[in-house]
Amino acid sequence: MTATQAKTGEATPGTKVMTLLEAITDAMRTEMRNDDRVVVFGEDVGKKGGVFGTTMGLQDEFGEQRCFDTPLSECGIIGAGVGMAVYGMRPITEIQFLDFIYPAFDQIVSEAAKMRYRSGGEYTCPMVIRSPYGGGIRGGHYHSQSSEAYFCHTPGLKVVIPSTPADAKGLLISAIRDEDPVMFLEPKALYRHAKGEVPLGEHVVPIGKARIAREGTDVTLLCYGAMVPVCEQAAKEAEAMGRSVEIVDLRTLVPLDEATVLESVKKTGRCVVVYEAPKTCGYGAELSALIAEKCIEYLEGPIVRVAGFDTPFPYTLEHLYMPDGKRVLAGIEKTFVW
Amino acid sequence: MERPRTIRRDDGLWLLQRMRLIRQASERIARLYPTDVMETPVHLCIGQEAVAVGVCRHLTDADKLFLGHRTHGPALAKGLPLPKLMAELYGRSTGCSHAFGGSMHLIDLEHGLPGSSAIVGGSIALGVGAGLASKLAGADFVGVSWFGDAATNAGVFHESLNFAALQRLPVLFVCEDNGYSNVMPKSAHAAFDIPSLADEYMTTMTADGTDVLAVHEQAGEALAQIRSGGGPVFLHCPTKRWMKHQGHERCDIVGNGIDEQRDCPIRKLERVLLDTHLCGAGELEQVRLSVEQQIDAAIAFAESSPFPTPAQLEVV
Repeated sequence: MTATQAKTGEATPGTKVMTLLEAITDAMRTEMRNDDRVVVFGEDVGKKGGVFGTTMGLQDEFGEQRCFDTPLSECGIIGAGVGMAVYGMRPITEIQFLDFIYPAFDQIVSEAAKMRYRSGGEYTCPMVIRSPYGGGIRGGHYHSQSSEAYFCHTPGLKVVIPSTPADAKGLLISAIRDEDPVMFLEPKALYRHAKGEVPLGEHVVPIGKARIAREGTDVTLLCYGAMVPVCEQAAKEAEAMGRSVEIVDLRTLVPLDEATVLESVKKTGRCVVVYEAPKTCGYGAELSALIAEKCIEYLEGPIVRVAGFDTPFPYTLEHLYMPDGKRVLAGIEKTFVW
Repeated sequence: MERPRTIRRDDGLWLLQRMRLIRQASERIARLYPTDVMETPVHLCIGQEAVAVGVCRHLTDADKLFLGHRTHGPALAKGLPLPKLMAELYGRSTGCSHAFGGSMHLIDLEHGLPGSSAIVGGSIALGVGAGLASKLAGADFVGVSWFGDAATNAGVFHESLNFAALQRLPVLFVCEDNGYSNVMPKSAHAAFDIPSLADEYMTTMTADGTDVLAVHEQAGEALAQIRSGGGPVFLHCPTKRWMKHQGHERCDIVGNGIDEQRDCPIRKLERVLLDTHLCGAGELEQVRLSVEQQIDAAIAFAESSPFPTPAQLEVV
């Protein structure tokens, strides 16, 4: 598949309109030019340019030493990345779908995540684990899941999920430069649907800083990745009903920008947490607990979670499983009428 | 090795009928796929039909077949009714997995299809477990682990072969080796020779996976050994994938080495049936037409079936 061409509109000087997918490629290209230690590897990332096309052109520009295909061995891909990272390289490993990551789980949680701690800070593990996550492409059970919470539960990992092309580039560059292992999870539903201006060349968005995607006064929506545009849609509809909605795009799940989250909820007094993973023990459960713990006295209604269901990812009923504008809107109303 | 070029008429017709069912259904799926009537990604097996059909001729409904993501061929060969497959692809509740599976997750317990996994290599160990269950229960069914060449890259492949061999389990490992992991050639994904490696663990046989008579013969020998208590067997079938890894198009990368006249398993069998006077040209044409009618009926069934209801999201 070829990457969808970005619309050639009137971009601000020094920027270019890109899809989220193109911005990810641009980030890797930029850092591979900056730093010879950066290498990209995984299944089908070289010759094919990735199953979605995120590594398109990298092998042509940087050669097979720096962008290469691996056998179908997730455990081996991550394990090799850990070894390289500890010995001075900056590996970007790609797991083709987040659903395929489980064979590598041991290498991630037992090796990558614990390198810094178990060496008493003697060395770190500067690697990026990139993987597309989430529904929206009718991929069925094993091409659709949102498994971010497993990794958020593992101390030693950072977890980053962008929702805009500019953030995707800036956060991925930060992840590559980070001294610790970063799970960089890409909302595949937005790969070609999210388009926007992206600064050319050097562009850094710090890890650990949320973004106010929309300012409002009555209720806060906490979301990330593919749920951000869903919340934006719901916010527009809520606005028409007289509700002023603030949207916080978390961008980084670990470490969480607690200050921005709490400040917004304190201001609005109402909060809806939106995520597409199964509801129970999803990342939204942590957010809900945090708010209850640290600012319950500011709340004027219950904290509401709008999430996927506690089922395996459904195939035909994907449209019902994924939170949509309507469900978010209903969630907003629950914070007012309860 | 010279393979026998004769076959019993009933076997020959069965092999032809099932290969045509798989081929023609796949071609129809490929034609319909761009119209978006199907809910699911599809991994077609055009060119590889001989492996599925040659092996499954020797399997009973009691034998348990565990598949990977390229499911349609072996599932139809094993006995999955075509209407149930089509309905599943259309995402209808009359599908073999009640619209909860899609192309990569086909279930048909009645015909010994406990399931398939889209995680490459993910179901190899499951076939071993079925073999262990058979042994412990004193049953006489066989577990069959079905996978492609790329699955041999994964650690679970080695763990499964090792355990099955140590326990002398009634398991048939079928490696449908189409030479590619997506677009990556075997030379780039495996540093070992697959049958040589398998032979370290257990009896290993190889059959030309574009020649249904060769597969049929070797699979027969393999299953005879397994059923007589001789332990697991590895059957390696080099074959050719005409299509892209996923989707409805011919594969331009893999396709360079394929001659669709020379390498077609259906043409090969039809030639033998004609040369040995088991069938006439009219009869072969009749098989083709009959399969087309089955496909029309299966699609009509799928199209007229309901989608699952919202209530089914949480109540399966």
